[in-house]
Amino acid sequence: MTEGEAGMTEGVAGMTRGGEGMTVWMEGREKREGVVAGAGEWGYSCGAGFGKGAGVKVGRRRSWLLVPPFEDEVEEGLSHGPDVLVLDMVELLSPSGRDAALEGLRGIVEKAVGAGGPEVFLQIDANRAPEELRAGVVPGVSGVALPRLEWVAQARMCDAVLGRLEARRGIPSGSLQIVASLDTALGNHRAMELIQASSRVWGVSLGRVDLAMDLRAGPDGEFHLLPFLMQRLIIVAGAAGVTPLGAWWRPPARGLMASVEDTYEAAVRGKALGFRGAFCVAGEQAEALNRGFDGGNLA
Amino acid sequence: MNSGMVRRSGLTMPVNNPRFVQKAWTRGCDFIILDLEDSVPPSEKAHARTLVKDAIGVVGKGGAEVWVRINHYSVLEDLEAAVWPGLSRINYPKAETAQEIWLVDKIISRLEAERGILAGQVEIGANVETALGVANALEIAAASPRIRDFGGGGGYDMSRDLGVEMFVDFNQFVYGSGELELAARVAGLEVHSTPYMPNLSGSVSDGEHAFRVAEATRKLGFRMGGGLHPNVVEPQNRGLTPTAEEVAAAHVVLELYEEEVAASGRAWVEFGGVTVDWYEARRARDLLEWAGLCEGRNGEKEEAVARARGDRE
Repeated sequence: MTEGEAGMTEGVAGMTRGGEGMTVWMEGREKREGVVAGAGEWGYSCGAGFGKGAGVKVGRRRSWLLVPPFEDEVEEGLSHGPDVLVLDMVELLSPSGRDAALEGLRGIVEKAVGAGGPEVFLQIDANRAPEELRAGVVPGVSGVALPRLEWVAQARMCDAVLGRLEARRGIPSGSLQIVASLDTALGNHRAMELIQASSRVWGVSLGRVDLAMDLRAGPDGEFHLLPFLMQRLIIVAGAAGVTPLGAWWRPPARGLMASVEDTYEAAVRGKALGFRGAFCVAGEQAEALNRGFDGGNLA
Repeated sequence: MNSGMVRRSGLTMPVNNPRFVQKAWTRGCDFIILDLEDSVPPSEKAHARTLVKDAIGVVGKGGAEVWVRINHYSVLEDLEAAVWPGLSRINYPKAETAQEIWLVDKIISRLEAERGILAGQVEIGANVETALGVANALEIAAASPRIRDFGGGGGYDMSRDLGVEMFVDFNQFVYGSGELELAARVAGLEVHSTPYMPNLSGSVSDGEHAFRVAEATRKLGFRMGGGLHPNVVEPQNRGLTPTAEEVAAAHVVLELYEEEVAASGRAWVEFGGVTVDWYEARRARDLLEWAGLCEGRNGEKEEAVARARGDRE
């Protein structure tokens, strides 16, 4: 157990013993009802896996592997054992590739869900939510990630479309979740409003904030502004009762360029800071995230 | 968002110190700040105000932009003294609310109209130097179109307001400067930021340190400098200007992107261990644009200095 984690365990225990004040605080968060499988493994019982959503049973979500929606990529992704496979319609496709991928999306999603391995999320463009969700949401999908989320209206529209699809496709009402990816300055500034825009929001991440905000390596060995943004997101997530996702990347490790070892270390540091799982783009990185969030130590 | 202005170096000097004012144009600064605030004792403020109009012409002879830093508590008198043709910007210290900025904006607008200055020409630099200013960051940043860049969040006044030490071996301003930068980006303004680098001596004349900070600032993609001692001007100009190697590398990245990536429909190519994608291409374009702006600014200053020397002879 890392130092940060031990600190949090004690902190939560302390609050629980605090009696009435704590009860009131918990009651104020009526949405904190997620049934968490294996929450104890995280070392503390408040925050980890506590998303919103009506009693949705959630397994461990340490690694979120993004793959483009193609059959070979999905098979390759599955072989690395991520906790969540994210079929990506945004980051890993060129604009022209997106239209082509939309046609085959349903079949690919059904295959991924049918594999019976990891949970399956879709990553879609919030501005194209109706068509992309119609094409990709089938029974068995757990939810959607919305990159570059900036507007409450975007989250509300996705919420409404997901609700309609649940009703039409025999998916339990309210079960489809949203992970809000806050890649931009405006998204981060509005983090609390965006989380509160839909009761489906289960988690938040900084997504590709390094690219979207052009955060470069600083003389302190960190990406510029990232320590601030990570802590800000974790505080807001804690206050809103959703799960913060991310890893503490240090330059030059980012995206495709992060080695297995760098990814593992980013997960261990990220976990110590308060993150509960992270996105990645290579299968080997998913394995490293699983190890890191399982409670690794840095040498 | 970059403003397109080249403001790598700038000296702040008390307007009532004739020695500093007379030599300012020879220093090679991109801008000069004539100070009415902290470097002018209260008993001298009234006299200092009478000096600003003439000083604007004097310090600008070498091609530097001329800015004036006014006082937080005597806005009207200071602006009356400072807003004259030749002025580029008013720095408003200890900004804490949008209302303060609206007031400064209104008075500047009136003076521009009365004194034959193009409407909207005079910028406002909103210096946030207190906890309250951090709490109101976005409303301040968005309060006037005259504000074109924003950031900071450290410095002497902030350390005094927070009651923290100024020269320490860690960054004591992470939160405040983070909020200000976030506000700048949300408001679409140029980010005014420098990375934390320890300066335990508190020296303001250390050219080596100034160069290291300027270079690190440039590598983060930021462009603004400024200081108190002539020793730091040349290191800041040098440190914030792209090097010839960087310019050459940017040309290669752009060519690769245009020929290999854009043409193929793929998201990226790898070349010699370097990944080239839209992000790298955008950075390369920004760098080339900035290098061009710096070169243009250097030329303007050289011409102005040559003119000024000719006048004197």
